[in-house]
Amino acid sequence: MFEKYFVFSPYFWLVLFFFIPLAIIFKISISVSEWGMPPYQDIFLFDNGFKINTTFENYVYIFSDYYYIGSFVNSLILALISTFFCLLIGFPLAFYIATSNIRLRNILLVLVVIPFWSSFLLRVYAWKIILQNNGILNVILLNLGITSEPLQLLYNQYAVIMGIVYTYLPLMILPLYGYLNKFDLNLIEASKDLGLNRFKTFFKVILPLSVPGIVAGSLLVFIPVVGEFIIPEMLGGSDRLYYGKILWEEFFVNRNWPGASALAFSGIIILVLPIVIFQILYSRWSQKNEI
Amino acid sequence: MDNNFLVIENISKSFGDNKVLENINLNISKSEFFGLLGSSGSGKTTLLRILGGFEKPDTGRVILDGTDITNLEPFDRPLNYMFQSYALFPHLNVFNNLAFGIKENFTKKEIEINVRDIAELLSIEHLLNRRIKQLSGGEQQRVALGRCLIKKPKLLLLDEPLAALDKKLRSKTQLELTTLQKKLKITFVFVTHDQEEAMSLSDRMAIMKNGLILECSSPEEIYENPKSLYTANFIGIANIIEIYKKDENFYSDDLDINFKLNKELKKTKTNILLRPEKIKIQSINNLKTSSFNSFSGEILEKSYLGSFTRYEIKVNNIIISVLDQNFNSNSNYNFPKGEKVICSWESESIKILED
Repeated sequence: MFEKYFVFSPYFWLVLFFFIPLAIIFKISISVSEWGMPPYQDIFLFDNGFKINTTFENYVYIFSDYYYIGSFVNSLILALISTFFCLLIGFPLAFYIATSNIRLRNILLVLVVIPFWSSFLLRVYAWKIILQNNGILNVILLNLGITSEPLQLLYNQYAVIMGIVYTYLPLMILPLYGYLNKFDLNLIEASKDLGLNRFKTFFKVILPLSVPGIVAGSLLVFIPVVGEFIIPEMLGGSDRLYYGKILWEEFFVNRNWPGASALAFSGIIILVLPIVIFQILYSRWSQKNEI
Repeated sequence: MDNNFLVIENISKSFGDNKVLENINLNISKSEFFGLLGSSGSGKTTLLRILGGFEKPDTGRVILDGTDITNLEPFDRPLNYMFQSYALFPHLNVFNNLAFGIKENFTKKEIEINVRDIAELLSIEHLLNRRIKQLSGGEQQRVALGRCLIKKPKLLLLDEPLAALDKKLRSKTQLELTTLQKKLKITFVFVTHDQEEAMSLSDRMAIMKNGLILECSSPEEIYENPKSLYTANFIGIANIIEIYKKDENFYSDDLDINFKLNKELKKTKTNILLRPEKIKIQSINNLKTSSFNSFSGEILEKSYLGSFTRYEIKVNNIIISVLDQNFNSNSNYNFPKGEKVICSWESESIKILED
């Protein structure tokens, strides 16, 4: 009796925590803004008969100002670069963990997960302390005589990328590990036996067979990084504006809820639609190729 | 024939404190089908992996066709290795699995021709566009074999080549494998724990135990004249009887009979081997017991195996196995349980075990 409805639980989850909030955001995004609490008018008015009170002004406003589009593009680029570096560092680590013996493997996995046990804010703040002008890194560099004056390591996009790669690396490693764990090591030996050196074996056997893990890990890093607000805020400078920060300002500084909602809704659509299409195409492809 | 085609010289290997191989020496001839037989933990797979280049020996050398290959990487060795799991690439179809090892150095047309040839040889032409998961175990085995043979290796190493197949397919594949090997004249070295498989495939075979080679000879020689107690027990069914010198003859306490040997024996006490098919079983009414090379006993168990019937015969306190061929089409020919019978053998059938 109960089991029959159990299969619908993911849909229930999706509706409750994704579609309903999304619908609320969409509703606010097409409302007319005003000074007040909440800072927008209702979309259905009943004063003098029924009237629908909606506007697409907010969308026009966002898409006509490069300030918003530019910040979104910046965030996309940041997410791409961060995902690339997470993959570059995460793949060898995940592969090493997956192929090491069971005792070492468990220790390494715990080491990967341990940072999650401390506060995210604290960890990012720790980087601030390490990178600041009189921070540990600059002190070491100065004392070793490598630099003559403190380097400006903080408040630029490099610090942001570093902070994001550091924070999101476990999200790349864990799904990759989960996939590589099942990797048949005989396939690597078979490839070498058939005459391919390590380099070619990596590109002909290991990489193609790791695609599902790479896709899972990359999506898990890419999507949240696009909306990442805290790390650019704490480690970044004023040289580059990111989507998450603009969104925050629009909501809480400018109190332009309809504008912010329009920005958020556009962002979700721009991000989610290609990913959904990609997922559909990808699952068809992987079914066909039986990976 | 060049019997120094593959020379394995003083190979030793340890994993930590665990000595897996101790001073292995073997010479294998060109075009030989050579079997390494042993139970698990005997070191046979490690030896094969050393030949394949996947493990480095602690000491010793491997020389293939005059070249020392001990320190070569697997991809630089002119040999191929067929894995027990087959290790076929799941992301490639059959064609690309077969072509995997020749894609580098061949043109598209040459690849096409080579793949077709090898597919024809193994009768898998109809499978070329299939994915690996769509293949049966036997088909996968052929693809794995083809993927190696397409490279025309000097030496093919096979790890338990038939272990993953079901019993009926196994005997069919055994025959195909020997035919193929004789046709291609490639040297095959394979590992197995299955003594029947080793016997039917090998030209010569080595019995391994605890990292040592106990014996190395043809299957016939090893079955008929094993040197050690371990080999005698490991290959086929063995009746092992302890005898000692008493007056002019050899006597067994267990059977309470005298043995007549056709060979002089210096030791006063030894184990002898009597294979169950060498023992003749007769009804007690027909004969009277002779004092040499025969005993009378009672049938304790019998199992009808079709072409043979296996009897377990109780004599005093020990049990002797006898295989009796079913010449007669009348099933009543078999002796029933509990029947008293006389067992006898030729003195040539008695094999003295050296250790």
